[in-house]
Amino acid sequence: MCSEPSSRSGDAAARCLLCNVGCPVRLARGGPDRWVPDYVPHAGYAGLCGRGSVLAELLDHADRILAPARPSDGADGAPDLQAACEEAAAALGAGKAAAIVVDGNADLDTIEAARRLAAARGARWSVFVPPADAGLVHGLDSSGCAFAGPEDLASADAILIVGNAYATHPVAAHWIFESRKGRRRAPLLVIADASGVTADFATAVFQPRAGVGGAARAVAAIRTGDAGALGPEGRALAGWKALLAGGKSPAIVVGAELGYADALALGREVAALAKELKARVCPLTTYGNAWGAVRLAAAGGAVPVADVLADGPEVLLVIGTDLATALGSRAVAPALQKVRRLIWAGPMPSRLSRRASLVLPTAFTFEAAGRALLGPGREIRFDALLRPPAGVPTALEVLTRLGAGPASLGSAVAGQGAKADASRPASVSAAAAGGADDDYTPEGLLVAPAGDAIDFADGSLTRPASWPRSVRPRPLLTVAEADAEAAHLVDAGRAVVEGPGGSVEVAVATSSAQRPGQARLSAAFAEARDAFGWTLDGPLPGDPVRMRVRKA
Amino acid sequence: MPETTTAAATEKRVVLDLDRCIECKSCMAACYYGHGRATGINFVDIGPAVLPIVCRQCGDPACVDVCPAKAMKLDPLNVVARGVFSCRGCGSCVRACPFGVLSLEMVGHQVAKCDLCEDRLARGLEPRCVAVCPTGALRYATAAEIEADGLVALGGRIAGDHPIQRR
Repeated sequence: MCSEPSSRSGDAAARCLLCNVGCPVRLARGGPDRWVPDYVPHAGYAGLCGRGSVLAELLDHADRILAPARPSDGADGAPDLQAACEEAAAALGAGKAAAIVVDGNADLDTIEAARRLAAARGARWSVFVPPADAGLVHGLDSSGCAFAGPEDLASADAILIVGNAYATHPVAAHWIFESRKGRRRAPLLVIADASGVTADFATAVFQPRAGVGGAARAVAAIRTGDAGALGPEGRALAGWKALLAGGKSPAIVVGAELGYADALALGREVAALAKELKARVCPLTTYGNAWGAVRLAAAGGAVPVADVLADGPEVLLVIGTDLATALGSRAVAPALQKVRRLIWAGPMPSRLSRRASLVLPTAFTFEAAGRALLGPGREIRFDALLRPPAGVPTALEVLTRLGAGPASLGSAVAGQGAKADASRPASVSAAAAGGADDDYTPEGLLVAPAGDAIDFADGSLTRPASWPRSVRPRPLLTVAEADAEAAHLVDAGRAVVEGPGGSVEVAVATSSAQRPGQARLSAAFAEARDAFGWTLDGPLPGDPVRMRVRKA
Repeated sequence: MPETTTAAATEKRVVLDLDRCIECKSCMAACYYGHGRATGINFVDIGPAVLPIVCRQCGDPACVDVCPAKAMKLDPLNVVARGVFSCRGCGSCVRACPFGVLSLEMVGHQVAKCDLCEDRLARGLEPRCVAVCPTGALRYATAAEIEADGLVALGGRIAGDHPIQRR
């Protein structure tokens, strides 16, 4: 099997959507049946981060799904594509309670097609976006603050970064570094774990306590000047507002790292601060198309994924997203027990696809032309990186075969070419901003999920590739030296983390900068995410959880 | 390959500015995928021979002194240990070790034999690791160019504001 080059690949109009920097990407022949990344100039940068480089292997991966299958039945003789689509369409239209969940990193037209299919079948529909991304979009969108893309950061002369942006979005660092050329004294303020790489480059760092809302409270303290809620350490934030206001072109870079409520609170506080400072906000999301997905979901009457799972439809069609890895097994297990017919459509096998009664092959989002909304005012059109293997349809083609009618002007969300739908701000959902104060107890560390530069957020797209596996074969736990000593852990040693959802063996990194009592665990491993034991009624996906750590 | 290109290329080297590295490992991925998905950049065979490499566990280890990332430490048991996750692969320890027991193959993030991406040099492009580095920590330059920027070139491969200390 070998993917074929897109006829436009030489024009380098394809994009990586593994984050919302959206680097242009091109592939070149590296052998008879192998592709290597080639680099396209992009606002002064010409490269790909480690995650984007994985695309070259992913598109020709030996495990990718090329034909329909029946994994859970173990039956031989899976139908051909046409018969499989007819079977899936019949299951959706059989009068049973049905729901459709589409991955938010599909292109805008595919998401809209999922809505049309749901409408045609009388099914509920939902768009999966990482909870932190959804919270950030909801918190910032329609706030009225000014936005900027990462490329615009080069002109900023005072920057506040919330989150470990250099690790989660390394290419964005390029323009932050550019901004500091000739402005070495300009403030670069960071609210993030002090053990993270972003903090290393800050002129001042504030490390929020783990727990929902910690970063948001810090931003609020900057804006109001009242750091009482943060205790004595909040004094570190004194003067930050003046530092940012002293710039002629301040910017706030924000990436959400925990769950929905934390990100929602953070987005709201960042928006409020930005408006007072007249600063531009550069949101960094895990999904490249998170903004577009959330807006389309809001405009199209999508329900939250949690609602779909809570109701447990009889027939569930999931397109492109591995909910079992993204949310953790405990969050989806109850729902899957109620689902009588799970149909999964996507390019690579996953934990969810292995439980499906019917699997349909689709191309990767990158293997078809499409549109995405990287952020407010940042809609892009991208071309296919490669044509998909012969016989593998795009997700849009599959949805059309299942019964999604053509796009119409009269639909609530206009079809291809219309910008109005994607530009309409999403309404803010009513999730309350969290803020449970953290109480440090001797029993267990408060462990939060951590993103990194190597893996996609839940690992679903990078874990199958060989390079990330070789660099980091097991999850990494970053822990304070004092906590490591107490648990008899050593740097580069191994430990077992035991959480509500299970245990996982990890590699240990100790840091003198990590706050005692709290730790970070790689979020890109399914087994690590399972250990958090997230559920849909708390602790919610992405929230930090108290876990015990012992030497392996 | 044109001679002029080759001549110019041999004067330049890939130089790492430690003050700019954000440890994103984009360079590692670029090298890996650009060289046939070889696993050499992290896990490298040292050749047909297997040589014992024994650290002397110095009481006053030079490698600990020069490590800019505090990855090398003398622990309470007087063992000189390397923190693999802190190691930036700068090679300072390799050059500092008076006994030559450290090799670049033992230090992570380095390829066994860099070819400066000859295929790209032939097209007038920089090596992959330099191209993808988002912060400019990796540069393809001559020692004179590095020093002209006011940086110190250590061992011809590492640059920074100070040969030993980081910011």
